[in-house]
Amino acid sequence: MKNLMVSDLVTDYGHVRALDGVSFIANSGEITTVIGANGAGKSTLLRTISGLEKAKSGTISWGDLLITNLAPEEIVRLGVAHVPEGHAVIPTFSVLENIEMGALFRKRKNSTDVKVAISEVLDLFPRLAERVKQSAGSLSGGERQMLAISRALVSRPELLLLDEPSLGLAPLVVEQIIQSINQLCRSTGLTVLLVEQNANTALAVADHGVLLALGKVVSDQPAAKMRADSALRTAYLGY
Amino acid sequence: MDKYKNIWRKNLIKTLTLGVFLFLLSFTFEPYNQGQLALVLMLFIGVLSLTVLTGASGQISLGQGALMAVGGYSSASLITHLGASIWIGFLVAFFATAIFGLILGTAAARVSGPYLAGTTLVIALALPSVANRFESVLGGDVGLIVDFGTPPTWISNLIEVGYEQWQLWVVLPVALTALFFISNLMATRAGRSWQAVRDDEIGAAVSGIPVARTKVIVFVVSSAIAGLGGALYGLRGLVGPSVYPVSLSLTLLTAAILGGVGSISGAFIGTLIVVFLPDLIDWAISGLAVSEQLSNYLPALLTGFLLLATIIINPAGVMGAGHRKKH
Amino acid sequence: MNTFISTLITGTANGAIFALAALGLVIVWRGAGVVNFAQMGQAMFTTYIASNLIASGNSYWLAFIVALISGSLLGMIIDLLIMRPLAHKKSSSATKTLAGTIPVIASLGILAILQALAGIFWAGEERGFPTPVNSFYFKNGDGTLPFSAFNLFVIGVVLIVLLSLTYFFTQTGAGLGMRAAALNPEVARLSGIKVSRMRTLSWAISGAAGSLAGLLITPSTNLSPNTLDLILIIAFTAAVVGGLDSPLGAVIGGLILGIGIALVTTYGSPENVFLAILFVLLAVQLIRPNGILGGKQVRRG
Ligand SMILES: Nc1ncnc2c1ncn2[C@@H]1O[C@H](COP(=O)(O)OP(=O)(O)OP(=O)(O)O)[C@@H](O)[C@H]1O
Ligand SMILES: [Mg+2]
Repeated sequence: MKNLMVSDLVTDYGHVRALDGVSFIANSGEITTVIGANGAGKSTLLRTISGLEKAKSGTISWGDLLITNLAPEEIVRLGVAHVPEGHAVIPTFSVLENIEMGALFRKRKNSTDVKVAISEVLDLFPRLAERVKQSAGSLSGGERQMLAISRALVSRPELLLLDEPSLGLAPLVVEQIIQSINQLCRSTGLTVLLVEQNANTALAVADHGVLLALGKVVSDQPAAKMRADSALRTAYLGY
Repeated sequence: MDKYKNIWRKNLIKTLTLGVFLFLLSFTFEPYNQGQLALVLMLFIGVLSLTVLTGASGQISLGQGALMAVGGYSSASLITHLGASIWIGFLVAFFATAIFGLILGTAAARVSGPYLAGTTLVIALALPSVANRFESVLGGDVGLIVDFGTPPTWISNLIEVGYEQWQLWVVLPVALTALFFISNLMATRAGRSWQAVRDDEIGAAVSGIPVARTKVIVFVVSSAIAGLGGALYGLRGLVGPSVYPVSLSLTLLTAAILGGVGSISGAFIGTLIVVFLPDLIDWAISGLAVSEQLSNYLPALLTGFLLLATIIINPAGVMGAGHRKKH
Repeated sequence: MNTFISTLITGTANGAIFALAALGLVIVWRGAGVVNFAQMGQAMFTTYIASNLIASGNSYWLAFIVALISGSLLGMIIDLLIMRPLAHKKSSSATKTLAGTIPVIASLGILAILQALAGIFWAGEERGFPTPVNSFYFKNGDGTLPFSAFNLFVIGVVLIVLLSLTYFFTQTGAGLGMRAAALNPEVARLSGIKVSRMRTLSWAISGAAGSLAGLLITPSTNLSPNTLDLILIIAFTAAVVGGLDSPLGAVIGGLILGIGIALVTTYGSPENVFLAILFVLLAVQLIRPNGILGGKQVRRG
C-alpha cells in the first residue's frame, strides 16, 4: 500500500508563491482529483511532485520514500509518472518513438516487459495502434493526449499524475480518456492524481477531491460529498 | 530634459577630469609607456564600440576588428593618395565606417546570437581578400604605410615632443570625444530605447519603438566608433591585413567581457588588462628560466583563462557587481 | 575536362570533411544549444597528439584511434567542466541579455586556451600530417586518373561515419534519448532520460567527429595552432546553409561548400574563397534564414 503524502508544500516562481503550504494524501489504488480555478496552483503541485519544480519547503513522501526535490528522471524510476499540461508529446517523433521514449530507461534490463507494456497501451488506445508509424504532430488533439498518457504508462508507474487531460478536447473524447484511466485504475490498482478544471467530470470518477485556491487547500473530502456541495463550487469555481 | 542636461554636464566633467589626468600622467612616463597608453586609448575606442553593441543590443560581434580595418583603410587611403591630414582622415573614417555599418546592420538586424557571432567572424576573416582585390588603392598584402606625423611647429616651438608623446596627444582628444559621446548616448532616451529593445523586443515594439530600425542604428553607431578607433590604430605605422587580424577582434571582445559587458568604465579596465597583461607576464617571468615557446604563448593562455573565468564566475565582468545594483 | 572532374572529386572529398565538421557543430547545437567555436581547436589539439604519436614511431592507425578517443574525451571534459556549470548557473538580470552568447564566448575562451597550449607544447611552426594511403593521382597507363586513393579513402570514411551516425540516432535507444533530450528536455526528463548525460554524449560525439575532420583535412592544410580556424568557418557556414538544426542539411551544406570552394579555387582565384564563403553565408541568412532544409520553427538564440 503506497500512499502519496504531501505536507506543507511551498513552491515559488521567483517572487510569486504558487503553492502556499499544501497538505493532502492520495490513497493507494484510488483516483484523487485536484480541482481549482485558473492559476490556483494545480499544475505547480504536479510539477513539484514529479521534480520539475523545486519545493521551497515541505515534504512529499511516496510510500516510505521521501521524494522531495529529487530529479524528475529519478522520480519516474520510483514509479511516479507525470503527464504534463498540454498534450506533451514530441511532434517530430513517430507515435511509436514517443511511446518507446517513456520506456527507454527500462529497456536494457526489462526489454521483454517493455514490449508487453507497449502492446498493452496500444490495446488500451486502439486509435494509436493504427497510427504507430505516423508522426505525432499529425495526430488530433485527443490522440495526442492518449499518446502522452501512453508514454507515461509504459514506464509502469504505480502513481500517475495527470494534468488536465481534457484540455481543449471534445466532451466525447474527454469521456473516453477519463474512462480509460478509470478502468486502468480499477483493474491494476494504479494510484491516480488527476488535475482538472472541469470539476464535474473529475469528481464523477474520483474517489477523493482536493480543492485548491490561490495555492492553498480549501477543501479535502470524498468526491461524492464535494460534488454535492454546491456552496463550495459557487464560491471557488464559479458555477 | 533637465535630467539629461545634468547627465550631460556630469559626463563632461568626468571626461575632462580623465583627460587632464592622463595628459599630466603622460609626462611622467617613459616613451614606451606613453606608446602603451596611446595603444590603450585606441583599443579602448574599439572596445567602446563593442560596449555599445553588446550593452545596447545584447549581441556580440567577433568582427569588430574588421570594422576597425574599414576605418583604418578609409583614412589611410585618403592620407596616402590625396595627402589629407590625419584629422580629416578620422572624420572620414568615422562616416565611412558608419555607412559600412548601415549596410552590415541592415543584414545583421535579422541575425542574432551565435549566427551573428559566426557571421561577423567570417567578415573578419574575409577582410584581407578585399584588400587584395583593390590592391592599387588598398595596398594588397603589404598595406598602406602611414603614421602620426610630427607635431605642428607651434607646438614643437613651445615644447619638445617625442613621437610616442605626440601619438598620445593625438589619440587622447579623439578617445575622450568618443567616450563623451558614448556615455551621453547610453544615458539618454535613445540609449534607453535601445536597452528596451535588448531586454524585451516584443514589449518594446508594443510600446511603439521601431525595433528593426533601432537595431540598425545601434550597429551604425557601433561601427562608426570602431572605424574611428581603427583609423587611430593604423597610424601606428601600417594599415594592412596583418594589422587587423581576427585576433584583434577577439582581443576587443575579451576586454569588453573582462571589464563587464555594457559598462563603460569596465571597457577601460578591460582594455588596460589586455594591453598590460603581456608586459606584466614578461616582468613576472623575467627572473625565471622559461622557454621562449612558453613566454610567447603565455599571454594568450592567460587571457583565455581570464575570459573563461569571467564567464563562469561572474559573467557581468569586473564592473558587473556595481552595474547590477543600479538596476 | 580532366581538370573539371578532378576539381569535382577533390571538392567532394573536402566537402565530405566539411560535412563532418558541420555535423559536429549541429550535434552540439541541437543537443546542448551551443555553437561550439572551439570545435576545430579541439580537433587541432587531437591532431597534434596523433602527429606526435606518429613522429615517435607509432602506426598511423594507432594515432588515428587515439585522436578520435581523445577528441571525444576532450568534448566531454569541456561539457562537464565548463558548459554544464554555465547552463546550471542562475541568470542574473545583467547576464540574461547575454544568455545566448555566453556559451559562444566560453567556447572562444576554450579555443584561445587550446591554441596557446598547442603553441606551448608543440611550438608554433607548421608541420605536415601524413595520409594512410597514397595521395597522388592514380596512374592509368601513360595518363593519370583525376583522383587519388586518399580522395576515395576520405569519401569512404565519411560515408561510413554518416551511415553509423544515422543508424545510431534513428535506431538505437541512446539515439532516441539524445534526440528527445534535444527536442523537449522536460518531456525527456519525465520519461526518465538523463538529459545532462545526453548533452555530454553529444559533446563526445561531436568531439570525435571534429577530430576525424581534423585528421582528414590536415594532410592538405598542414598543422599549426591556427590552421583549422578556416575549417571552422567553412563548417559553420555549411551548418547555417543546412539550417543549423538539421544533420542532413549540414552534410548537404558541407558538400556544397566543398565543391563550391574547389571550383572557385580552380577557375577563380584562391583569394576569393573567403569572399565566396561570406557571400554564401549572408545570402542564406537573408533569403532563407532557416537554411535550405530548416523547418518553419523559430530559431533558437
Ligand atoms: N513559470 C512560471 N513563472 C512564474 N509564475 C508562474 C509560472 N508558472 C506558473 N506561475 C504562476 O503560479 C501560479 C500557479 O500556476 P499553475 O500553472 O500552477 O496554475 P493552474 O492551477 O495549473 O492553472 P490552470 O488551470 O490555468 O492550468 C499562477 O499564479 C501562475 O501565474
Ligand atoms: Mg495548469
